[in-house]
Amino acid sequence: MLILGIDTATRRIGVVLANEHGMLGRVELGAVSDRSAPRHAETLAPAIRWCCEQSGVELAQVSVVAVGIGPGMFTGLRVGVTTAKVLAQSLRIPVVPVPSLDLLAYPLRYARRLVVATIDARRHELYWAIYQPVPGGVQRVSDYELGSPDDLVADLEARGADALVCGDGSIRFADAFASLGSRVELAGSAHASPSLSALAELARARYEREEFCTPAEVLPMYLRRSDAELEWDRKGL
Amino acid sequence: MVVSRVRVLAIETSCDETAAAVVDDGRVVRASVVASQAELHARYGGVVPEIASRAHVELICDVVEEALVEAGTTLDGIDAVAAVRGPGLAGALLVGVSAAKAISIATGRPYVGVHHHEAHLYAAMIEDPLLEPPLVTLIVSGGHTLLIAMDDHGSYRVLGETVDDAAGEAFDKVARFLGLGYPGGPAIDRLAHEGDPDAIRFPRPMRHEGHDFSFSGLKTAVVQYVRKHPEVAVADVAASFQAAVVDVLVEKLRAAALETGIHTVVAGGGVAANSALRGRLEVLGATGELRVVLPSVALCTDNAAMVGAVAAYRLAADGPSPLEGPVVPNLRLV
Ligand SMILES: [Zn+2]
Repeated sequence: MLILGIDTATRRIGVVLANEHGMLGRVELGAVSDRSAPRHAETLAPAIRWCCEQSGVELAQVSVVAVGIGPGMFTGLRVGVTTAKVLAQSLRIPVVPVPSLDLLAYPLRYARRLVVATIDARRHELYWAIYQPVPGGVQRVSDYELGSPDDLVADLEARGADALVCGDGSIRFADAFASLGSRVELAGSAHASPSLSALAELARARYEREEFCTPAEVLPMYLRRSDAELEWDRKGL
Repeated sequence: MVVSRVRVLAIETSCDETAAAVVDDGRVVRASVVASQAELHARYGGVVPEIASRAHVELICDVVEEALVEAGTTLDGIDAVAAVRGPGLAGALLVGVSAAKAISIATGRPYVGVHHHEAHLYAAMIEDPLLEPPLVTLIVSGGHTLLIAMDDHGSYRVLGETVDDAAGEAFDKVARFLGLGYPGGPAIDRLAHEGDPDAIRFPRPMRHEGHDFSFSGLKTAVVQYVRKHPEVAVADVAASFQAAVVDVLVEKLRAAALETGIHTVVAGGGVAANSALRGRLEVLGATGELRVVLPSVALCTDNAAMVGAVAAYRLAADGPSPLEGPVVPNLRLV
């Protein structure tokens, strides 16, 4: 069973190929600026092709496409999700959508405290979710949230438990967590991007349990509505 | 020019239509599917880019599948896959281009990125499969107002364009002012049938000044007139405004053809679906002074069939586009 995984929720473009024995190949490309989203569309398809060539596999051999569905930067996310669903449709195989926040938390499942996954949402906000490590993985104990760093700090204060915070949101807003003192630790740059090996592992388990979608059903998790809709509601129209 | 046997799967997501088509040899449409999002944008009075982009992601798989089924083919029967890479809304273009590239790497077929205006031009080649350049084209929609001389396949001169609002934008703004809703073009067209186009003499901006267009002054004139004459029949305003726009468009197209010595003219874009403009162009063709090729309404508004048509010619002349090719929201034709 061959899995192709894609995650473009952050500035990082990630592609992974894995089978039941482990990873066959992986491509990760960073970006130098926030204005990188159009680059996702230029780089993703060539990266997938290159990853297949270098790993000695054909796309036709892939059994399932796994994709990080965000939340994250809207345009970058749409490039990854569109590529994943149309690839799967073309290859006549299913898709396993996985929230990108889950991909940040999963590699920290051995931590003996709450794991807080964050993704920079721009506009001085971040997306986050809170997880409790359990045998074999992590269990989400919050909703997928959007809010200010202060909102997250308040949530963590209320929970009163020790926490390990990961993801690029925790790097951008590192200062905001200082008030929580030693109860909160930041996981740093090694855990800044949604994990591609986590994507392959989680997707394999879900695929085996037949927890997959038809390509047309797969959509990004936005969490934030469009400005036009927000404005519409604000005016009370 | 005849392109050799090639079947193109084409995708168009540059604005608020999610469209896919299967086109043979750049001329024969096997299937053309358009999912309009107009209802999603109506309450905002115009296309909201973020809402358009989200809808494209929701619709893309179904639209592509429907086009293949309608054409009675599968991806195995496709020789190339094309998408509009500009101009258009960046987030919207990214969906169609990403989809086309995904199909390209899944099937091993070449990807062709095409220009939206060039696609509008090729709609006429579908309408008349024997049509060949040279042509003068008027492309008019909510996003563009262009006069283009097509000297040969792939060889263009932009003769004129709008210096402010696009013609379709003027329709939308006037319709909004008159309380007719969005999209404004069809609303004004409908109402104008009940009005008198000679009731009010609105200005014909830049009518005799070169090949460029200007519509913002006309919109202002409508607003001022209605404020001054609040009792005026809205249908008369709609008909008179529409007549002014159509006068300018038809006269500039005719002048461009006469000046370039090109005797075949074509029209495309959403405003080319306007019944008054179509009527005037038919009259122009009937005089025998110029040959007028007017694509069907479905080929004038945004669609993917025109994308499949131009892609066959671009593929034959230039080969595949690179997979690394970007989307270019402000892409120029020349
Ligand atoms: Zn158009």
